[in-house]
Amino acid sequence: MAFNVLVVDDSAAMRSIIIKTLRISGVPLGEVYQAGNGQEGLQAVEENWIDLALVDLNMPTMGGEEMITQLRANPDTENLPIVVISTESSDTRIASLRGQGAGFIHKPFKPEELREQISFITGVSNESFDEGGAVSGSGFDF
Amino acid sequence: MNHSMKAALYQAAALTFEELGFLFPNAELEPGQKSAVVDGMVNLDFYGPFNGSLILRVCGEILPTIAANMLGQDEPPSVALQQDVLGELGNVVCGNALPLIAGREVVFRLSPPCILGTESALENSAAQIQIGLEGGRADVFLFIKQ
Repeated sequence: MAFNVLVVDDSAAMRSIIIKTLRISGVPLGEVYQAGNGQEGLQAVEENWIDLALVDLNMPTMGGEEMITQLRANPDTENLPIVVISTESSDTRIASLRGQGAGFIHKPFKPEELREQISFITGVSNESFDEGGAVSGSGFDF
Repeated sequence: MNHSMKAALYQAAALTFEELGFLFPNAELEPGQKSAVVDGMVNLDFYGPFNGSLILRVCGEILPTIAANMLGQDEPPSVALQQDVLGELGNVVCGNALPLIAGREVVFRLSPPCILGTESALENSAAQIQIGLEGGRADVFLFIKQ
């Protein structure tokens, strides 16, 4: 079973890097969607089946925090697994994001960090990625 | 010159170029690195307990190599994508340097990266560092508003 992933970052280069790193990490991928800001990200979630969102924080039009707040306020998306990938280093801000149920990865990052954080936030074990990604009790159908 | 700021800028820049650009930095510049010509600059403004800006300048035609490395391509990407990469490098350097300077409890907001002309003025920085990267170098300038 593979993840349909949405990558939200205002940098096209960083989106490419994240997608390349996702492929290297061994996380089973289905469709990969891209958005350049939170507004586009919300639209992509509305139009597509997304299993996991990887979201930057500082973006024009709508930042990642506002996007996450809106996702959590919508019953259809309130449990969507989200990992924030950002240069943010403030413990205060990171704790706030974790409080909304989001994982966090600090840029720059390594493929194994991405894999571990996705495993943690989705509840799919690292071993399951290699075996084809069986879901272990997260409540989501991938 | 504030040495703790310089140390923070160097640490953040070295981490960024090593882990994102796959280039190994050297602190002592070689003659060719010292004389390398500027080929790109980016500015990021930051707002928090103190406001200011960080400018990253790359010299010596290393940007195409860094961009290709970051994107996992054999050939350098388009100039537009190289500038996008430069912006992201500046973003990561700034995002990693500020907590080293101000601590991890405080919150800074960063502006989107803004590409500058290569002749832009760089006077009155609070701290600046140079870092050798293959045949070129990167310069980082930190400006703090009063």
